[in-house]
Amino acid sequence: MSGTHRQRMALGRSALVALLLLWSLGPMLWQLYTSLRSADALLLGSAGLGGGWTLANYTDVLSGDPPFWRYMLNSTVVGALSTLFTLALAIPCAYALSRRGGLLRLLVGGGLLAAAVFPYVLLFLALLEVARQLGLANNLLALSLPYAGLSLPLAVLLLQAAFAELPVELEENALLEGFSLLQRLRWILLPLMGPAVASTGLLVFLFSWNEFPIALTWLSRSELLTLAPAMARIAGSSVFTVPYGAFAAATVLGSLPLLALLLLFQRQIVAGLTQGAIKG
Amino acid sequence: MTTPTTISTTTAAAPASLRLENLGRRIGDRAILDGVNLAVAPGECLALLGPSGCGKSTVLRLIAGLDAPDAGRILLDGDDITERPPARRQVAMVFQSYALYPHLSVARNLSLGMEVRGVPRGERDREVATVLQLLQLAEMGQRRPAELSGGQRQRVALARALLRRPRVFLLDEPMSNLDAQLREELRPQLRAILCGGSAPVVYVTHDQQEAMGIADRIAVLQDGRVQQCGTPQELYQAPANLIVAGFIGRPQINLLPQPDGTVLGLRPEHLVAVTEGGLPVRVLSREWHGASQQLLVASPQGELRWTCAGNLSIGAELRLGWAREHEHRFVQTTGQRC
Repeated sequence: MSGTHRQRMALGRSALVALLLLWSLGPMLWQLYTSLRSADALLLGSAGLGGGWTLANYTDVLSGDPPFWRYMLNSTVVGALSTLFTLALAIPCAYALSRRGGLLRLLVGGGLLAAAVFPYVLLFLALLEVARQLGLANNLLALSLPYAGLSLPLAVLLLQAAFAELPVELEENALLEGFSLLQRLRWILLPLMGPAVASTGLLVFLFSWNEFPIALTWLSRSELLTLAPAMARIAGSSVFTVPYGAFAAATVLGSLPLLALLLLFQRQIVAGLTQGAIKG
Repeated sequence: MTTPTTISTTTAAAPASLRLENLGRRIGDRAILDGVNLAVAPGECLALLGPSGCGKSTVLRLIAGLDAPDAGRILLDGDDITERPPARRQVAMVFQSYALYPHLSVARNLSLGMEVRGVPRGERDREVATVLQLLQLAEMGQRRPAELSGGQRQRVALARALLRRPRVFLLDEPMSNLDAQLREELRPQLRAILCGGSAPVVYVTHDQQEAMGIADRIAVLQDGRVQQCGTPQELYQAPANLIVAGFIGRPQINLLPQPDGTVLGLRPEHLVAVTEGGLPVRVLSREWHGASQQLLVASPQGELRWTCAGNLSIGAELRLGWAREHEHRFVQTTGQRC
């Protein structure tokens, strides 16, 4: 009796897992499917599953003007720069904050939290004005400045928590052994913070990869567009048709680098996210 | 060309001696340390003994420079190092948690400090090999700290302290994470390695047995003050006050308030069965320890602890006496020896 009960439990669990997978992966699989179908097959549904498969959507997107890989390159450049700027600023900030006690830490932490949850969409018009005044429009390097600025509060908070979790004796011992501040960071603290730095960096990169309103308003030259505004352009490129296939192909191509990054850092990210999970 | 076979703890400088003068440290309104005076000679091992929260770890942190005193001076070899940054004090500390760098191998844990201080590669390798040999860790060089036993980790921490070639060794409860048997094994080793060199050793512990076993002198610390500082024998034979009397000696000393305003202190091991005179007692409970048994007896003056070589059963009645020279007397109000 308990045997069949257990079997039924296992079955139920599998069904639940399958449902969750379908829910989260379904849209992506749909995009993948769409990207591989010809326009006729998509719109008329006449070809059946046997025919209508094509790579034309991909060749179209990749041979556009400018070619799609250009947007990916732009996004990669902006993402890498934003991540670099953010980490370079957030690591020293987080370190300093984690080594200060009391009121200052509380106040700065509260301020950072407020900044982190602030809806940044409200800022983009003001940022556009700044970009115009300073001549920063149509400049990928410049675009990573607001991205780094917007990512900074959350990054400092995450890294600060990670710094605070390292046993203070490690650093004290290094201090007694004659390590300078930079040497302590380089040899002792940062190697132990690998997971936290990796997951924070990835969050920043993701934000920059997905960001739309600022990119849309700061960039107008088509060869400088990042992925998000470029995709919007593809979607709205024709008055008479909706290029489902091309759009889906762009989506798939655009998520490949993220997928690669995630796979590369999977272990660190999971470790970083669960860090501190058991600390009361 | 000869290779050294032992790590000497000598430095280029002359033998160091450590003096703490009137050290004070407050946090808010609370005095953690209040006028602490101590001196440690070269090669001498001084144990700081006291209950947790008595300020003994604070003393170490002040000597190391990890914390700054509000009053007083720290002198090393006559140099005032009170204001000197920790990196330039040339002190080594063994932390209670060992503070081994978890991401580095044992060998790297040992050599990184020298690398940072600019010791050339060949010399680093030689010194690490020597110290690993000395502490019986020769096979462990490539392991990570997580792959070592507690005793091995403790020896790695010790090795790292030795390689610092410090002018002062500081040890903060270095054995409290080890089990009792290992502690007993390691005590003489630790003494042989650290003490008798040219650097003073300050050893913090809350375990009086460990302090007695390892230290040349013991300073009993409570309420931020040094209650008494002397050899283990001095502290045992002539405790300066009730705090020290209660802290030194196991089982704990019997303290009997007397009508004349004094407290009579009698150590359990100094009580003897007598045929006449003394106190009439009855055995309440007993613990058998092999060579002796540990008894709790009821007397007209209250319950007494008695270490007895015989074999008495519960309920036995007899008379207990003691020799005059084993009496300790303290003033009841101040707790001072009289």
